Amino acid sequence: MKKFNPDRRKFLKLGLGLAGGSLILGINWSCSADPDSGSRGNSKDFSPNAWLRLDKMQGVTVIVAESEMGQGPFTLLPMMLADELEVGWKQVKVERAPATPVYGYQLTGGSGSIRKGWSTLREAGAVTKELLLTAGSIHLGVPKADCTATGGWIIHQPTGERVSYGELIDIAATLPIPHIAHLKEPDEFKIIGTPVPRLDTSDKISGRAKYGIDIRLPDMLYATITHCPVFGGKLKGFDATASKAIKGIVDVFSINEGVVVVAKDTWTAFKARQVLKIEWDFSDQELLSDESIIEHIKSVDSGKGKVIQNSGEDIGALSQTRTLESSYILPFQAHVAMEPMNCTARYKGNKLEVWAPTQSPTQAYNTAKDNTRNIAARTLDKIKSKVFGSHDENVEINTTFLGGGFGRRLQQDYVAEVVQIAKKTGKPVQLTWTRDEDVQHDFYHPFSIHELSGKIDARGMPIGWRQIVKGLGISTGNSGRIPYEIPNKLIKAVNIEGPIPTGPWRSVGHHYYTFATEHFLDELARAGSQDPLELRLKLLGSSPRLRNVIEVVADKGNWKDYLTGHRLLGVAARSSFGSHVAQIAEIELIDREYKIRKITCVLDCGLVINPDIAKAQMEGSIVFGLTAALKSKITLKQGRVEQSNFHDYPILTMRDTPEIEVFLVNSQEQPEGIGEPGVPTVAPAVANALLNATGSPVRSLPMAMSISSGQT
Amino acid sequence: MLRLTINGDTHELDVDGDTPLLWVLRDHLSLTGTKFSCGIGVCGSCTVLIDGKPSRSCVLAANQAAGKKIVTIEGISTTDSHPVQVAWEEHQVPQCGYCQSGQILSAIALLNSNPAPTDEDINNALSGILCRCGTYPRVRSAIMSAAAYMLEEGSES
Repeated sequence: MKKFNPDRRKFLKLGLGLAGGSLILGINWSCSADPDSGSRGNSKDFSPNAWLRLDKMQGVTVIVAESEMGQGPFTLLPMMLADELEVGWKQVKVERAPATPVYGYQLTGGSGSIRKGWSTLREAGAVTKELLLTAGSIHLGVPKADCTATGGWIIHQPTGERVSYGELIDIAATLPIPHIAHLKEPDEFKIIGTPVPRLDTSDKISGRAKYGIDIRLPDMLYATITHCPVFGGKLKGFDATASKAIKGIVDVFSINEGVVVVAKDTWTAFKARQVLKIEWDFSDQELLSDESIIEHIKSVDSGKGKVIQNSGEDIGALSQTRTLESSYILPFQAHVAMEPMNCTARYKGNKLEVWAPTQSPTQAYNTAKDNTRNIAARTLDKIKSKVFGSHDENVEINTTFLGGGFGRRLQQDYVAEVVQIAKKTGKPVQLTWTRDEDVQHDFYHPFSIHELSGKIDARGMPIGWRQIVKGLGISTGNSGRIPYEIPNKLIKAVNIEGPIPTGPWRSVGHHYYTFATEHFLDELARAGSQDPLELRLKLLGSSPRLRNVIEVVADKGNWKDYLTGHRLLGVAARSSFGSHVAQIAEIELIDREYKIRKITCVLDCGLVINPDIAKAQMEGSIVFGLTAALKSKITLKQGRVEQSNFHDYPILTMRDTPEIEVFLVNSQEQPEGIGEPGVPTVAPAVANALLNATGSPVRSLPMAMSISSGQT
Repeated sequence: MLRLTINGDTHELDVDGDTPLLWVLRDHLSLTGTKFSCGIGVCGSCTVLIDGKPSRSCVLAANQAAGKKIVTIEGISTTDSHPVQVAWEEHQVPQCGYCQSGQILSAIALLNSNPAPTDEDINNALSGILCRCGTYPRVRSAIMSAAAYMLEEGSES
C-alpha cells in the first residue's frame, strides 16, 4: 500500500437521497468546491469528470466520460476504480457520462483513456474504500485499524464479523472525505492486470447496444443529405419535384452543408435523394485530381518546411560514403466506420437535445450550441464564455455507443447538420448519411510524398539520413521523428493547405512517417549488407524499451529463419502514444503473388490493465493496418472522390486475415495507450518482407498483390 | 398491407412492399439490432435469417420475405444463451460491436448447415461480413468453440 493525501478538493460526496439512496461520489479534476461541505454539497459547486455510485444492493456503477468505440474504456476505467475500491468484478456496471462541464473537456482520442483515467479512477476507488472502512468500524463498533475491505465487505479481522458496503451507505454519507487514503502496489492488484470480460459484450451480442443510428423517439422523422460532390463547390439550386412525388416525403430543403430530404422513414429519404436534381457551382475545383495534387506537391519548395529533427552535418558533405535515395507515396484513406455518420436531435421548446455517436461530446455541445445561434448571438456567447465561463442548460448532448470511430468521430459535422434540420422540421429527426456520402465526405488520412536520402559508411552502417516530407494535411510534429541514432540527420516536413478535408486517422502521423522510416531503414540495411533487425538494435542504444520489443519479437517471430532463408520475414518497430511495438510479418510467395501468413506482434504498453483487451486492440490494429497496406486508397478525379462504398474501397476480410499472434511485455511502468500503437508498423513490416523476398522496395501504398513486375 | 413473421411474431404493416426488409425492421418495428452500413449488400451488417438462410436485408424487398420465417439478432435467444452467443462471450469477440449481429447470424446459419466447419468453410461463409475493428480472428475461434458446444447439445438431446 502506498499512502497518499487525497486532494480533498478533488473528491466531494454528494450524499444520500439521490438516485434512490445511493452514495454518490463526484470525482473531479479541476474543481473549487469546499471539501468540508460534505453531503451538503451541491452538484453545481464542482466539476467531476466521472462518478461512482454505490447502491444498497451492492451494485457499483462507474460513470465513464470516455467514448466507447470498441477500444475498451467502458471496461478498463471501471477496472481501475473497482480494484482500489475492493469490489468484485460482477458487482460493477458502467454508464456513459452526460456532456456537462462538470465532467471536464470530453474528447476520446490519442489513445489517451487509460492514461487519463489511471490516477483519477484509482484514487476515487481508494478514497471511497477509506470512507467505507471508517463507516464499517463505526457500524461494527470496532477500531478501524482492525478492519479490512474485500469483495464489497468491511471485515473485522479478529472476529470475522462483517458488513456489506451497501449497508454502510447511510453512515458513509455523513462522514467527511478522508485526509489519507492508500493506493495499492501492483502486486496487490486483483482486477487490474486480469482478463476480466468486457462490460459491453452482452449488449453487443444481443442487439441491445444502442448506437447513434438506433435512437428511436416518438414521432421521429428520418433525414438524409447530399453534399456537393466536388470539394469547395457550392449549391446553385435544386428541383425536388420528383422527390416530393414519392409517398412518405415530408420536406426537401437546403442547409449550409447540402440538400436535405426528410421522410417518414430512412428508405423513403434515400429513394427521394436519388431523384433530386441539384445544380452545383463547382468553381475551378473540378481540375483537382491525384495527378494535379502530386504535381502541386512537387512544385512546393521544401525550404519552407518545418524542421522536425536536425543533427550533425549536411549529409551531402559526408565523404567516403555510399548514397541511397528512395521515395514513397502514401495516399488518402477513409475511415469507413461500419456505422455511417448519423445524428439525432429534438427541440422541446427552447431546449435542444442531441444524441450523437461522437468521440467528443464537448465539441458536439459547442457545435450544437453554435448552430442554435445567429452570428451576433454566437459572438456574444464567445465573449460571455470567455469572461464568465458558461454552459447552456438548453443544449443537451447524449453520447451513444459508437459503431467505430478511428478519428472520424472527432469531427462534429453531422451534429451541425442535424441541429439545422431539427430547427427546420420542428420534430425529432434522425439524420443518416448514405455510405457513399460517408466515403466521399470524410476527413481523410493525409496524402504524403516522402523523399529520402541515406548515407552508408564502409562498414555498411547508416551515418546520414535526410527525409523531406510534403503532403496535404500532414503532421509536422513529433510523429515525424526517427528513433534511430544516426549521427547526421535532417527531417523536414511541409504541410500544404488544400481543399481536401483531412483529419486524424487511427495512429495519425505515425502511420505515414513510420512507413517511410521503417521501410527506408530496411533499404539501407540491404544496401549495407546488414541484418535489418540487428541494425535496429545497434541504432537504438538509448531506447531500451523499443529495443526490448524488437528482441522479443525476434524470438517469437522466428527471426533466425530469416537468416537461414527458411522464411520470408520483415520487421518494423515504433514507439507511439507512450507504448512500444515491434512486429514481424511472414509472407509466402505463390507463383507471382504473395500471401501474408502471419503477423507476430510484441507490445510494451507499461502495466497492462486488461491483457485480453490489449491483445484485441493489437489484433484489430493489425487488420486495420493491413487494409491500408494492401487494399484501400482514396483517389480524386475531377475534384471528387472516386470511391463510394466497400466494393471500390475494399477493407480486409476474414479470408484475407493472416494468423496473428500477440505477446505482451510484463511491465510495471505507467500504463500507456493501446488503441493506436499497433497500426503503424504493419505496412512497413509487410513491405520489408517483400523487399527481402524480391529485392525491390515498395514505392506506394496500397502494395500490389502481384510481384510480376519485379517492383510492387 | 404487409404481413411478416419476425422472431415468431406476426406483424401487419402499412408499408410499401418494395421497402427493403432492413428499414421495415429498423424504422417501422424498432428492431434496431439489424444494422445499416453499406446499403448495397456488400458488407453483411444487415444480415438476418430467412427460413434459416443468411440474407442481406438491405437489398431484400420486404414483400419477398412475406410468408417466411424471419429471424433477427433479437430473436436468437432471450437470455444470450445461444451457443454462438456463449462462444462470442467466451472469446470476447466484439469491439465496437456494430457488425456483430451480421457475424453472429452468419455463424448460426453456417453451423446449422455444417456442424463441423473447416477454416475454408468459415472463410466462405463469413468473408462477406466486414468488420472495420478487425475481430476476424476471434470470430473464427468463437465459431470453432460454438461448433463444439452445438455438437455437445446435439448429442445430449
